[in-house]
Amino acid sequence: MKSGNIPVLSVNEDTIPRAYEKAIKEVWEKGASIRTEYDRPEDPPSRDATVIITVRKPFGQPRFHRSFADGLGGLADYVMEVIHGAHDYWVKPLEEILKGIESKDTRWTYTYHGRLFEYRIEDKVIDQIGLMIDKLSKTGYTRRAQAITWNPKLDPPTEDPPCLQRVWGRLCDDGKGGYIFNLNTHWRSRDLFKAWFENVIALTTLMRKIAEMISEKTKKQVQLGRYVDISDSLHIYGSYFREIKGDPEKGIKSFFEKLESRSFEERTWNSDFVKPYFINDGVGKGLKPMLEREKEMPGEIRKAIEKELSMMEEDDYIV
Amino acid sequence: MEIFKNIAEEVEKGHSDSVENLIEKALAQEISAEEILYQGLVGGMNIISEKFKNNECFIPEVLVAAKAMNAGLAILNPFLAEAKVRSEGRVVIGTVKGDLHDIGKNIVAMMLQGAGFEVIDLGADVPKEKFLESVKNKQADVVGMSALITTTMSYMKEVIEALKKEGLRDTVKVIIGGAPVNQSYADTIEADGYAPDAASAADMTKGLLK
Repeated sequence: MKSGNIPVLSVNEDTIPRAYEKAIKEVWEKGASIRTEYDRPEDPPSRDATVIITVRKPFGQPRFHRSFADGLGGLADYVMEVIHGAHDYWVKPLEEILKGIESKDTRWTYTYHGRLFEYRIEDKVIDQIGLMIDKLSKTGYTRRAQAITWNPKLDPPTEDPPCLQRVWGRLCDDGKGGYIFNLNTHWRSRDLFKAWFENVIALTTLMRKIAEMISEKTKKQVQLGRYVDISDSLHIYGSYFREIKGDPEKGIKSFFEKLESRSFEERTWNSDFVKPYFINDGVGKGLKPMLEREKEMPGEIRKAIEKELSMMEEDDYIV
Repeated sequence: MEIFKNIAEEVEKGHSDSVENLIEKALAQEISAEEILYQGLVGGMNIISEKFKNNECFIPEVLVAAKAMNAGLAILNPFLAEAKVRSEGRVVIGTVKGDLHDIGKNIVAMMLQGAGFEVIDLGADVPKEKFLESVKNKQADVVGMSALITTTMSYMKEVIEALKKEGLRDTVKVIIGGAPVNQSYADTIEADGYAPDAASAADMTKGLLK
């Protein structure tokens, strides 16, 4: 980055795993070397770029890449956290959040669900996703259907402010009396190697939820259109370079060698394979163990996850 | 034996149903549960652990294999108990109080189980009282603690101090791991072992119990 300009990259692919692999290759090869707040002194600077990624078929198969930093059950838990608020009760009280980095309370300062569905401003709690659904159902072509996460009072003083900033949706006519729902998500900062994929699985599941709600309201068919993901800083942290580069002397393969050593089918899973693990991964995660384990989860949220579980157990439900 | 090889391969692929069928078949052939465990199930987990060390497989694949191993273990457990088969050691593991991150801890637990340890997973956000209770009641050989954030790693020292106070420190080995900790921190809080990654945790633990 001799010019001082952060590279701007673009990725266009049919499916999520294809987009993930392409984005890693692009950022690794063309990204700038810049330090981040999370780099340790001994780490090299992170590889970083502004990136716009288009996934033309968000539920296209195979939908799941095998490279992410959790199990399939853990991924299901995360999806429930984003779309149903499974972990909203892990957020610390407002007075603790306001203490910023001085707070000794190690609970979270936000969840995406909390900000998108229960955004707090002055003395009001606003369901922004509900407003998006109402607005789009009334005027499909509106450019005003969006939900933000950033809270300028709470977020600047904390160590881990939200990465996702905004979701924006719009409907287009499908030419057959129905709609096609397009979703854009805007991210301030993003760990490409270990967070992007899980984020996108959750956000595209939210995309489908919104489309279903619009369909219910308008009594029209709403298909999913393209998903666009825009990151100001999409990065590969310096601490991951060993994993990306490998270590030939110790026989440790590079990430790219690992990809090349397998067919695309052998480095991905389709939704049919993943679904039983979303229900119960056999090692303590997934919807069933989550409902058993998390006794403090509020009743209303528990009910929403139980409903999700019963839908998931139906044959035609795609995770 | 061909059947051990087949069980190991199916564990590695995460095919729970095939693992269950093969184990039933092996038991019907009057092969001992201990042999099925160590040459079949642990054999499969060893393959995936080795691949994980060499960056040849992905994290979710380790957990998919672990599900298949657990499915097999559920069938074998009554036979193992009857034959009084001893594991490599009993490990009580958890992410310390205040910390809800459990991915690293879960992978270490799988690696230990795959290496033949009996693992009692206490989950995340575990208070010292729960560690102490498990060490006492389960007669653990090892306590494993994980933390992902700098504000919670100091709780590891509190657990070690509590073990000392209860007179339990000399009965167990304490191992630690997680992004903010290192060997120097392990030395400072007088932990017995530290592993920089999940792949090396099982070997390190085996070394401590030798």
